Amino acid sequence: MSVLITPAMVAQVVVSGLLAGALYAMVALGLALIFGVMRVINVAHGTFLTIGAYTTFWWFRLLGLNPYLSLLLAMPLMFLLGMVFQRTMVRRVVNAPELSSLLLTFGLSIALVNVLQLAFASDLRSVEYLTGAFVVGGLAFSKSRVVAFGFAVAITALAYWFLQTTRFGKAIRATSQSPEVAMVCGVNVERVHLFTFGLASALAAAGGSLVAVMVAIQPEMGQVYTFKSFLVIVLGGAGNYPGALLGGLLLGLVEQLASLFLTTQLSEAVAYLLLVLVLLVRPTGLLGGRAT
Amino acid sequence: MRRALLLAAAVGLLLLGLYPRVASGYGIRFMLQLFMWVALAQSWNLISGLTGYVSFGHVAFFGTGAYATAILVTTHGWPWPAAAVGGGVAAALLALLIGYPCLRLKGPYFAISMLGLNEVMRVLVSYFEGLTGGGLGLSLPTLYASVAIYYAMGLAALAATGAAHLIITSRFGLRLMTIREDEVAAEAMGIDTARYKLYAFLLSAFVPGVVGGLFARDLGYIEPVAVFPLAFTITMIVMALFGGKGTVWGPVLGAAALFVFQELVWARFLYLHQILFGAIIILVVLFVPRGILGVLQQRYRLPRYV
Repeated sequence: MSVLITPAMVAQVVVSGLLAGALYAMVALGLALIFGVMRVINVAHGTFLTIGAYTTFWWFRLLGLNPYLSLLLAMPLMFLLGMVFQRTMVRRVVNAPELSSLLLTFGLSIALVNVLQLAFASDLRSVEYLTGAFVVGGLAFSKSRVVAFGFAVAITALAYWFLQTTRFGKAIRATSQSPEVAMVCGVNVERVHLFTFGLASALAAAGGSLVAVMVAIQPEMGQVYTFKSFLVIVLGGAGNYPGALLGGLLLGLVEQLASLFLTTQLSEAVAYLLLVLVLLVRPTGLLGGRAT
Repeated sequence: MRRALLLAAAVGLLLLGLYPRVASGYGIRFMLQLFMWVALAQSWNLISGLTGYVSFGHVAFFGTGAYATAILVTTHGWPWPAAAVGGGVAAALLALLIGYPCLRLKGPYFAISMLGLNEVMRVLVSYFEGLTGGGLGLSLPTLYASVAIYYAMGLAALAATGAAHLIITSRFGLRLMTIREDEVAAEAMGIDTARYKLYAFLLSAFVPGVVGGLFARDLGYIEPVAVFPLAFTITMIVMALFGGKGTVWGPVLGAAALFVFQELVWARFLYLHQILFGAIIILVVLFVPRGILGVLQQRYRLPRYV
């Protein structure tokens, strides 16, 4: 190790990891919902995030309004699009072997990425808003990341509140525990699927809107988020929604620590190693949950 | 029926063997790539078509083979045919390392761990610059050997298809298909599932390793993004799926149909090309998930060697 690592650097990295982790948790909650309810891994999840990011970019560029207000457009837009995709395509592969749903959502992802490329070219674009950092006691926090953290926590909390207390939220959880029993109890499983896919897509779009203010965007930006979200739900235990929160924070921390002690380049490999190790030791995830 | 098929195969092979005598440069390149796709689709079929374990990162073995071959040729001075076999061995070693833990994972977990493997291999290859040239890539010495590579690639496709035939008509193949249908039942019947899955996986990784090596030799220059494209994995899966996974001739049929279609039709739509590719994947999954041969098999009870 050629660089000296000070306690302040570690503190900085831990805080950055938590800031990033909350965003991962929000996006991964969407993937976890779809996987829990339909047993489908939505490979296009990251692409939905990209669509959210472009919505924010154009909102800011064309209307000149506060980019965070674009959440009010990006989330409902992706909610509707998600329901359309579920209705027309995903619905047909819900009970098929996993190869079908993986390939189908991958095909959807390629098509969407290239529609974006055709429409906006692959130039890097950025939303110049809230640049700079807060400095607190020798540690610096990028303003856009702190605000993104706040929104991510609020939106995730809202989603949990919805799942825990409302009637429809309970129907969603019941369906993910056992579709048959839920159906017997009078839950309209088809409607739950439709709504869950919409909600999950909206969560991905929210992630995109927040990311758009932090980093430059381009059509292929979302793909890493699909893999990261999957990692998060594996860490947290598939079908275990509070687990997604813990998994997100854990991934954020591990990534930041890996980039401090190794290099940024290798942090992806470290995350993968973590995935394989966790799966080997606890195939159902760190927090348990239902095995497939 | 069997005799007619053998005769057709022999005539086909003879024609393909004589083809370079009359072909243009483009014709040879076209067939060479077609062979490559047949071998790749067939190799994916060996693990995923037979055991049902979906390898969603099969191109990791292709890229590993390409790099191993390029390194053997440039720094150790191996002749390229030996180096390509070395690429296959390197890919099989990677499969041994990763298959031992990952083949215990079920369903989507295995698929995603393989997807991750590909990403990680690309990162590692970029990181170890001393050996691989990092993002700058590796250049192989200039060599004009299209015809020789045409035969080598053809041999790889033939060997992969031959292996599929031998496996599917043997007890080994039956064991693999039992694992696909019901792994718990297979174990209860006394099949050592872990061992047979690993055998199939090693074989299935060796082929793309060799093909990747030949690809590297043919191209003369490789870099991380070019030899670890996720789209390659998807293309070979869709080919095997379209033709009929788990059959001997399905991947051949699927590779031929989609590759010819791609060259003759898609290539004309520069910008829409990828969007159409996505649409074709969706259409195949929704409307012919069993593949052409799968549908025929269901309807006419074809023998297993088809």
